[in-house]
Amino acid sequence: MDGQEPSRPSSFFRKPTPPGGGSGPRPLAPVSPPAGAPPPPPPLGGEPPRFGPTPPGDFDSVRHPVFHGSGGTLFGIHVVNTLLILVTLGIYYFWAKTRVRRYLAGQSEMQLDRFAYHGTAKELLLGTLKAIIVFGLPVLLLNMIRDVLDVPVALKVVAGLISGSLIFVFFPVAVVGARRYRLSRMSWRGIRFSFRGRVWELVRIFIVGSFLTGVTLGLYYPVFLVQRQRFLVSHSYFGNERFGFTGREWDLFGPFVVSLLLTLPTLGLCWVWYVARKRRFFWDHTDLGSARFSCHVTGGALLWLWVVNVALLVATLGLAWPWVRVRSIDFAFRNLALVGPIDLTRIEQQAQQAGSTGEGLSGFFDSGFDLA
Amino acid sequence: MRYDWEAVYLDGRTATRQTAVIRLMREGIEITPAGSAARLWPYREIRQTQGFYAGEQVRLERGHELPETLLVSEPAFLASLHEVAPHVGRRFHDPARRRARIRWTILAGAGAVATAVAIYVWGIPALAALVAPWVPVRWEESVGRAAMSHLAPPERRCDDPALARAIDETVTRLTAPGPPSPYTFRISVAKRPLVNALAAPGGYVVIFRGLLERTATPEELAGVLAHELQHVLHRHATRAVIQDASTGLLLMALTGDVTGPLAYGLQTARTLGDLRYSRRAEEEADTEGMKMMLAARLDPAGMIQFFERIGKEEGPTPSALTYLSTHPLTADRLERLKVMARDWKGTPEPLRPGQPWADLAKRC
Repeated sequence: MDGQEPSRPSSFFRKPTPPGGGSGPRPLAPVSPPAGAPPPPPPLGGEPPRFGPTPPGDFDSVRHPVFHGSGGTLFGIHVVNTLLILVTLGIYYFWAKTRVRRYLAGQSEMQLDRFAYHGTAKELLLGTLKAIIVFGLPVLLLNMIRDVLDVPVALKVVAGLISGSLIFVFFPVAVVGARRYRLSRMSWRGIRFSFRGRVWELVRIFIVGSFLTGVTLGLYYPVFLVQRQRFLVSHSYFGNERFGFTGREWDLFGPFVVSLLLTLPTLGLCWVWYVARKRRFFWDHTDLGSARFSCHVTGGALLWLWVVNVALLVATLGLAWPWVRVRSIDFAFRNLALVGPIDLTRIEQQAQQAGSTGEGLSGFFDSGFDLA
Repeated sequence: MRYDWEAVYLDGRTATRQTAVIRLMREGIEITPAGSAARLWPYREIRQTQGFYAGEQVRLERGHELPETLLVSEPAFLASLHEVAPHVGRRFHDPARRRARIRWTILAGAGAVATAVAIYVWGIPALAALVAPWVPVRWEESVGRAAMSHLAPPERRCDDPALARAIDETVTRLTAPGPPSPYTFRISVAKRPLVNALAAPGGYVVIFRGLLERTATPEELAGVLAHELQHVLHRHATRAVIQDASTGLLLMALTGDVTGPLAYGLQTARTLGDLRYSRRAEEEADTEGMKMMLAARLDPAGMIQFFERIGKEEGPTPSALTYLSTHPLTADRLERLKVMARDWKGTPEPLRPGQPWADLAKRC
């Protein structure tokens, strides 16, 4: 709101960004963690709206998320969190995490409205306990059989195989569980996000993808990445509106191979450009209703962001990480736009009753299973 | 005192923002969305979820699963709320407390540093000392066995029966005066030129040929063995594992969620943090080993001579440095051993009277 309370300012220009930044929640598709040198704001002013006549309803043609967080405030939160974590021997960790997420969400703005994080520390704590009981203990036991206990070799081999293959279940469950939990606890204008993908689908993608990646000595990896991204994006919802992913499986293959070939001549630096390319590809092929995301991060800007971030961390022995986080989110937000009309009047709340619906494994991990 | 404010009302069902006029009352907030009827939210049913920091709008929610939301962007709103309804107390944030928060944050920072230091210096060693005795000896033994298969694989082991007998006698002599221990000591000599000796968990000790060749008397070897046996008896390896894991957790608590390049820095910090613990373990093994020598009436000069000789052997022989890197010999550590030896009133009894040692030490 920020004082301008009418809800439909059809401004085509970007709202000036206040100083500071922070790592806000990424409401939409998951991308590798943003990093953050602040490049000059992208030239958006003159960009024409890409869609035809404006339909009635709540919309701007080009919308940018804005991050208002400040590194100083985040640092203060972190200092208090650290003390409480130490004094409680770690139990406060879940409260600390929730506080940081709540702050970052509250500082993230889209079209004059802030995001909100509704998760509670108790959920996170219970989710972690579940994860320990369901995965931690069995894996620990299997590893002990494999490495420590005096049992026949055959049993050790079997235990090793089981614990090794549990990874293929564990990663997808953790990824889906975390996404389900986080999106369901995130809202904008009171409307919740949600994730409705099934964990077994990701297990299949993981097993097939890992196998083919291994067989092709890594060449299949970009295809696997796109498949994973499509699964994660296309099962995400904002209210009753579904996100869509239009990228084709082999689209990242070319940049990947080029980066592989350039690795030696550029001493690996080309991978920064690959990461930027990947980010643009993922966002540019993500849509919500008739609007589409657009990302214009460049390799050079990303490299500068990372260089400054690392320098900050090294110079302060890591104390600067709240500022690094703020810079990274700010960078990601500055480079992101949602383009095209969205009819917000059509969007309705359709919250997944997290924690009570679903069956089996995925239902079990609905609430608070968030390891990432 | 201002009662009426502009706000935005979200009904929790649609994404439509409705402008609303709200009025602060003594018992609640009266909300009138544009074009609909007024309603009253009693204070006790309202939660504040945003607006604790400068620049944040105030967000009030009512209802649980899918709450209705009220957004007020003027910062003065909260102050007015506290004026109109002072009885709400801490249910709503009071911006007047923000100044105090900075003071508390600075205090918390000092407190966090002090707590971290205390945990590192006292807490973690105490925890390790408390937990280590509960780790079953059988587990330690199987870990030790695995370590031995790397350190001294069977084809590299020196199986000279006379040497084995001499070592067994030394171990028996050293352990006889002490209380019975749950460990069975298994000492092996590995055919490697390293000048070093290591204690794996569970009673396994390996002596490398390079070290054995450099001992001039059986008492010198006894000194090295006493040191390594004390590592086993005090479960230093098990404690080191616990301490390393705890140091990692402590660093994680201090640095927040760390990924990427900082994780490497964290690993370095962790290794540095472990150094202090390993130095203390070495000191403990020294003094306790010396006590073991004295209790067994073995000449303490043997232990000291050997450490001194190794300490001097610097320069071109990097193999000698291995012992020093894992057993840093500082001047005050040697000094402490010398004081213990000087204060001893007993008379030493030779370990292998009349039997030549030099030949045995070069057998492998």
